Amino acid sequence: MAVPLKYNLRNLRVRWRLTAATALGIGLVVAVFIMVMALAQGLKATYVSTGDPRNLLVLRKGSTAESNSQIMRAEVSRMRYLGGLARDAQGDPLMSAEIILLIYLDRVDGSGGANVLVRGMKAAGLTLRPQARLIEGRMLRPGLRECVVSQRIADRFANCRVGQSFRSGATAWTVVGIFDAARTAYESEIWIDADEARAVFHRDFFGSVLLRTEGPAAAAALTKRMEADRILQVRVLPEADYYREQTQMAGPIRFMGAFLAVVMSIGAAFSAMNTMYAAIGARTREIGTLRVLGFKRREIYLSFLAESVLLALMGGLLGCLLALPLNGVATGTIGWNTFAEVAFEFRITAGLMAKGVAFALVMGVLGGLLPARLAARKPVLEALHAA
Amino acid sequence: MTITGFIIRNVLRNKRRLVLTVMSVALSLFLYTVLQTALRELTQPASTEESALRLVVRHRVSLANVLPVKYQARIENLPGVDVCSQFTWFGGIYQEEKNFFPQFACEGDKIARLFKEATFDPKEMADFIEDRAGCIVGVKTMERFGLKVGQKITLQGVIWDCDPEMTIRGVYRGGIDETNLFFHHDYFDELMGNPGVVGTFWIKATSAAAIPGLIERIDRTFRNTDAETKTETERAFQLGFVSMFGNIKMLIGSICTVIVFTMMLVTASTMSMAIRERMRELAILKALGFDGLRVVGLIVAESFGLAVAGGLVGCFGAWFLFRHIDIYKVTQGFFLKFDVTPHILAGGMLIAAVLGAVSCAIPARTTLRMTIIEGLKELD
Repeated sequence: MAVPLKYNLRNLRVRWRLTAATALGIGLVVAVFIMVMALAQGLKATYVSTGDPRNLLVLRKGSTAESNSQIMRAEVSRMRYLGGLARDAQGDPLMSAEIILLIYLDRVDGSGGANVLVRGMKAAGLTLRPQARLIEGRMLRPGLRECVVSQRIADRFANCRVGQSFRSGATAWTVVGIFDAARTAYESEIWIDADEARAVFHRDFFGSVLLRTEGPAAAAALTKRMEADRILQVRVLPEADYYREQTQMAGPIRFMGAFLAVVMSIGAAFSAMNTMYAAIGARTREIGTLRVLGFKRREIYLSFLAESVLLALMGGLLGCLLALPLNGVATGTIGWNTFAEVAFEFRITAGLMAKGVAFALVMGVLGGLLPARLAARKPVLEALHAA
Repeated sequence: MTITGFIIRNVLRNKRRLVLTVMSVALSLFLYTVLQTALRELTQPASTEESALRLVVRHRVSLANVLPVKYQARIENLPGVDVCSQFTWFGGIYQEEKNFFPQFACEGDKIARLFKEATFDPKEMADFIEDRAGCIVGVKTMERFGLKVGQKITLQGVIWDCDPEMTIRGVYRGGIDETNLFFHHDYFDELMGNPGVVGTFWIKATSAAAIPGLIERIDRTFRNTDAETKTETERAFQLGFVSMFGNIKMLIGSICTVIVFTMMLVTASTMSMAIRERMRELAILKALGFDGLRVVGLIVAESFGLAVAGGLVGCFGAWFLFRHIDIYKVTQGFFLKFDVTPHILAGGMLIAAVLGAVSCAIPARTTLRMTIIEGLKELD
C-alpha cells in the first residue's frame, strides 16, 4: 500500500511558508520560460498567418527578400499575359506589382522613431490580402498622395490617424483609411499606390509581384512557365513559403528562452532540493514510524518524490497564471529582412502552458530524487531515535 | 572559539544546504551578469575618442535610399570636415547566407585616416590602395573563415546586382569592429555601371567642437533638394539600429528583476529555515549572556557570507568564463565581444549584499523578539 497523498499535502500545508516560497520560485522560472517562448511564438504566428495559400510571390532570381528584389515594368506586363491568373468580378487579373520602401516616422509617445515599411501596391493588392479589411475611412485613390495605414501603425506612430498627414522627403502623404490586418505582418505596414511610390522614391522598377492563379494546378504550371521563361529572370514561390522563411528570426529568441530556462531551472531545482531536504530532516521520526507501520522503502521513496512533484506542480500552475496576463500584449522588433519595425503579440497557447508545467514537473523530479532516496534509506531505529 | 570560528562552524553544519544555497544564488547572479552583459553589448556601441569625431550622412527618408555622389565635393568644402569618404553597405553573401559579416565599399585611401584607432600594416595598405579589386578585412573575419592575405574572395550581391571578385590585400586589427571588409568604391561603381550614387558618407570632423555646427551645415546645404540628408554622429547612427530592437531592453530588464526576486525568495526561505531549526541554541546563547544584538550579528554574518559567496561564484564565474571563450565563434558572429565590465560585476555583488541583508531580516527580527524561555521550548 502506498503512503496516502494526503500525508504529503498536509505536510506541504504545515510548512506553508517554505512551500509558498519554493512554489513561487519554480513559478517564476516557468513564467519567464513561457513569456520568452510566447514572444517567439507570437513572432512566428504573425509571419505564418501572413501568407495566403492561394497566392504566389514573384521575386528576382537570387533574391531572398522583397526588399532586395527588382522586377522591371516590361516583365510585369509579360506576366499578365502568361495565363492561368484568377480574375476578379470585373474580369481584371488578380495581380499586384509591388515595391516596398522604408520611411522613418516618429513614435506617437515622442520616444524617437523607427523605420516603417511602406508598400506600394496595385488595386488588386487588397483583394489578394483577405486578412486585411478597412475599419475606418476608405481605400486610397491613386495619384493623390493618399495612403492607408494599419491599425497598429496608427496607434504607434505620430500623424497616422485618418485625415492627418505625414511627410517623407518632400512629399506629404494623407491618411485616408485605417485597416485591420488580423495580426499578420501587414499590421506593420503603410500602403500607398505602387506607381506613386516609384515616382516619389525614384525607382524605375517594382520589387515583387503578388498574384493568384485559378487553382493549384494552374499555380504549378505558371510557376514552371515563369521560371523557364528566358525574358523573365524570376523566382516564383508560394506566398506562404516566403513568410515561413521569415520565421527563422524567432531563432535567437527561442535560444534565449531555452538558455534562461535551463540555467534558472537548475537554480530552482536546487531550491526544491533544499526544501525537500528540510522537510525530510524535520520528519525523520515520522519516517521511522511509517517504516515501523510497515510501509516499504520504495513506498516512502515514491511518497517523497510525489511530494516534490506536487510542490513543483503548484509552482508550474502558478507560473502559468503569472504569465497569462501577457497574452496579447503587443510589442515590436526589427525585421532583419526589411529593416523595418515588425509588430507582434505575445502568444500564450495551451501547448506552451503545458510545456511550462511539464518543465516544472521535471524540476520537481530532479529536486526530489536525492532527498527521497535519503528518506528511504534511513535506518528505522536511527530514525526513531532522532530528536 | 572565536566568534568568526563559531559563525563558520554554523555555516558548515549542514554542508548540503550550504552548497545548494550558494549554488542557487551563484546561478542567479551568473544569469544576471550574462543578461546585463548581453544588454550592454547590444545597446551600447563602443565609443572612443576617435569615433566621437565621426559623422554619418544618410538620406533623410531612410538608409535604404541613396545619395548622389556629387554631394561629396560640397561636403568636403564645408569647414570642419577633415576626411569625407563614400561609404556604401554592400551586404552581400559570402558562400552561404549564414556567413554574415559587414562589407563596405569605401574610398580605400581614406579608411586609415577615418579609422585611426585600427592598425593597418603600411605595406598591406599600399597594396590595397594599388589594387582596384583589392580588399582589406578585419582579423576576426579572416580567422572565422580561415582566410589568408593574397586569397581571392567573391561576394554575391543581394541588395546590389553585382558579384565583386576581390583579392584580400591586408588585415586590420583593433579599434573598430574587427569583422568588416572594406573594398574600393570605384570598383563597386564600375561593376554597377557608374550609377553615381552612394549609401552614406562617413566624415571625420576636425575637432569635437566643430561637430554640432557641422551637422547643421551639412543638412542645411541639402535642404529642399531631391535627396535631403540626415547627419548624425556615429554613436547616434548606431543607437538608431539599437532602438529598432524595440522592447528588448525592457524584456531583459524585467527578466533580471524576476531572477533577482526569485533568488531573494529562495535564499530568504533557506535562511529562515536554517535559523528556525536552531532557535534553541540561540536561546542558550542568550541565556549565556550574549545580548540580542550580538546574536543577531551572528545571523547577519552568516546570511551575508552565504549571499556574497554565491555572488562571488556567480559573477566572477561569468567573468572568468567569458574571458576564456571566444564569444564571436560560439555565437557565430551574433556577439562580437562579451565584456563583463567592472560596473556589471559591482552591480551583481551589490545585489548579493542586498540579498544577504534582506534574507536575514525576518529571522533576525524573530530572534530579537524571542524570549529565552520561548526559545528553549522550541522543539526543532
